[in-house]
Amino acid sequence: MLIEQTDPHGHRVLRQRFEGVGTECRVGRDLGCDIVVDDDHAASQHALLTLLEDGRVSVQDLGTRNGTRVDGDRVPADAGAVIEQGEIIVGRTRLRVRTRHTPIGPERVFRREFVRRHRTMLAAAGVSACIAYVGFLQWLDAPSSMLRSVITAVLVALGLIALWTGLWALATKLNHGSWHVRVHLTIASIGAAFCAWGYWVAGLLAYAAQWSGLVQVGVAVAGVVALLALYLHLREATHYGRRIALSLAGAATLVIGTVAWIISIGVDDGNVNRVDLGPDVRLGAGRVVPNRDIADYLAGVDKLQLAAGRERQKSLLNAPLADAGD
Amino acid sequence: MKFARLVVAVWLCGSMAGVTAQTEKPPTPAAAPGEAPAEAPAEVPAELPAGPPPEEQVPDADAIDEAAIDADIASQELSGDAKVRLDAARDAVVQIRGFFDTSESSAFHGSGFAVDDGRRIVTNYHVVAQAVLYPRQYRLEYLASDGRTGPLRVLAIDVRNDLAVVAADDLALPPLKLRSEIPAQGERAWSIGFPLNLGLTITEGVANGLVENSIEQRIHYTGAINGGMSGGPALDTRGRVYGVNVSVVTGRQLIGFVVPAKHIPALLARAKQPLDVSLSAQQLRQRVTAQVFAYEAEVLGAQPDTAATQSVRGYTLPTQISRHVECSTVDEPSPHVRVRVETVSCWIPARIRVQAGVSVAGLSMQHRILQSMGLHPQQFERQVNRLAAAPLRAGASAHVAPFACRDGLVSLDGFDARISTCVRQYRLFAGLYDFDVTVVGIDDAQQALVSRLALQGVGFESGKRTMERYLGALQWTP
Repeated sequence: MLIEQTDPHGHRVLRQRFEGVGTECRVGRDLGCDIVVDDDHAASQHALLTLLEDGRVSVQDLGTRNGTRVDGDRVPADAGAVIEQGEIIVGRTRLRVRTRHTPIGPERVFRREFVRRHRTMLAAAGVSACIAYVGFLQWLDAPSSMLRSVITAVLVALGLIALWTGLWALATKLNHGSWHVRVHLTIASIGAAFCAWGYWVAGLLAYAAQWSGLVQVGVAVAGVVALLALYLHLREATHYGRRIALSLAGAATLVIGTVAWIISIGVDDGNVNRVDLGPDVRLGAGRVVPNRDIADYLAGVDKLQLAAGRERQKSLLNAPLADAGD
Repeated sequence: MKFARLVVAVWLCGSMAGVTAQTEKPPTPAAAPGEAPAEAPAEVPAELPAGPPPEEQVPDADAIDEAAIDADIASQELSGDAKVRLDAARDAVVQIRGFFDTSESSAFHGSGFAVDDGRRIVTNYHVVAQAVLYPRQYRLEYLASDGRTGPLRVLAIDVRNDLAVVAADDLALPPLKLRSEIPAQGERAWSIGFPLNLGLTITEGVANGLVENSIEQRIHYTGAINGGMSGGPALDTRGRVYGVNVSVVTGRQLIGFVVPAKHIPALLARAKQPLDVSLSAQQLRQRVTAQVFAYEAEVLGAQPDTAATQSVRGYTLPTQISRHVECSTVDEPSPHVRVRVETVSCWIPARIRVQAGVSVAGLSMQHRILQSMGLHPQQFERQVNRLAAAPLRAGASAHVAPFACRDGLVSLDGFDARISTCVRQYRLFAGLYDFDVTVVGIDDAQQALVSRLALQGVGFESGKRTMERYLGALQWTP
């Protein structure tokens, strides 16, 4: 049988193997016990585990006041219990017991092997893509001192990525005992690069197709990338399983997205001077949709009268005129 | 032209204890600063000889005598005349006060004077505007020279000329006589009213004739007019009313404006069928809107004698889409060192004030031609997009609803452009709209047209017609 002791956070602190039929294992605070627990809620001689002939384990409580529990159920003081596997609780200490009867699942394929194997290269590529995007934005502005503005912007971007990576690495260190910096750097930098370039490309496509909605699609894609990155960070840094990690990441993305949305709505709603000019123009660039005829366009302008009327109704509902009786 | 740039007008209706000063920015930012230094020093010395010279500024005894005697003579003559004018008009002038709901202290006040048979009182529309637009919320009262007070009702309004006729049932005052011709430039004139709630006051000045090149008629009065004197009579040397005090230019010296009295008889005739008290607030607002429409049809619809355009770098740009449009080429600071901007700016100032803080029936057009000076096409593109998105739009959420917008790529005459049209409606006046049209030429990666047409407080149809005329005139020839 294999006995693993875990601390209240689920971390393994001890691992011991016992062999031979009839082998006994005493658990308690007494130094003479086979497994010594530093637990005020345990008795000096608390429980006795015996390896039976058929490979199973008998658990007996040695007359303690707090008792011994197996998988949550208290072991009867007189009878004891026989188990193939399970969690034994002594005081507040948890002991996981495994015998040869415990079923062993098939070998799990290591899915993130590619990321792990190429983590240096991927991290470098992600960071480069982020730097390239920031530099590109600065270049678009055509500043008077290109070098200075690019260096400033790149330093800010690198600082943000470093901070984010550092926080996740710290979480990993606390949970797993090692930092995994390169893996987190890969996830963070590639995620950021995807978001930035994706949004830029969405703007290009929105102009080419003359559909402002594509910019919203770009925002949605950025949201999905953020969700994925959060999920990977969580999986790397914590013990959470897939489902919990995914729902945590989803909840975080949802909360952040909702807050951003509410803020933008609040800003837009109060602003009667905001105009929507449509997607940014690309001078002399190719487009998917053909030009409209001026008469067509003006016919569309007629519909604005209705739309403006609706905006007025909304505005009157939100803030009625002083003498609303009329 | 001068008038249009100088419209930084205070409307004289005193609000609460003071003045409602609405500052309208000049349509061309670059033009305004240039004017200020030229004017201010020119006005100040002109005023000095009129008043008694301050003692500490006079160095020797001979000069004291001469200057003091001159001033003495001048002041005796002036003050004697003003006293006569004031005494003759005193009983005809009333203070008009507006009260919010059942409140006992006034929310705004102005002046008015009796005409016709003494039962009709003329004032400014903007003095009584709140009571017209919110009839359930505001009530008007008069305060006569003998201390009598009583309720007033509005009989007729003329939004365009900023005039109104009010009356009280029990009030009959000695009327003032009207003078329909415009005083000659340089004629002595007086204005009477209740500035800043300081009591009945007369100020003396000079009538300077009709304002040149202005759409609605205003007489330029060089003399003090202050908040609260709105609606008071402007008198000539015979004590006849040649006009009604209406506004001043703030931050300048003694530039006041007076509505000519010749518009009063027509309004009095209309007052025979008074605005029905049973009219709902909505119907009253529609009356106001209808008057704005009539004005705007005349102003926006006035075709120029020749369709005036201006050619810049191959673009033909509409300038005078109405006869009343004024244009100037503005030397605007460029958004970037390596972008050259040429700007043609045109406008009709919005001078019809339908409500405190809301001026309507205005137009402004800016054509900007941007040229790249060695920028990469993508960098240039960014500058163009920024400039197109830059203009600041004025509007308070209390007065206008948000914009509804529509954009599209359209083939114009000789070039392709992205046109974005945004329209918003006024909250109080359902018939009035703001238009904001932005045109960006998209053919050329080294040169672009960014043009904007903004219409302020117009009817939808007339706004659309103006927009069509504007888009139809834009042209590019290689």
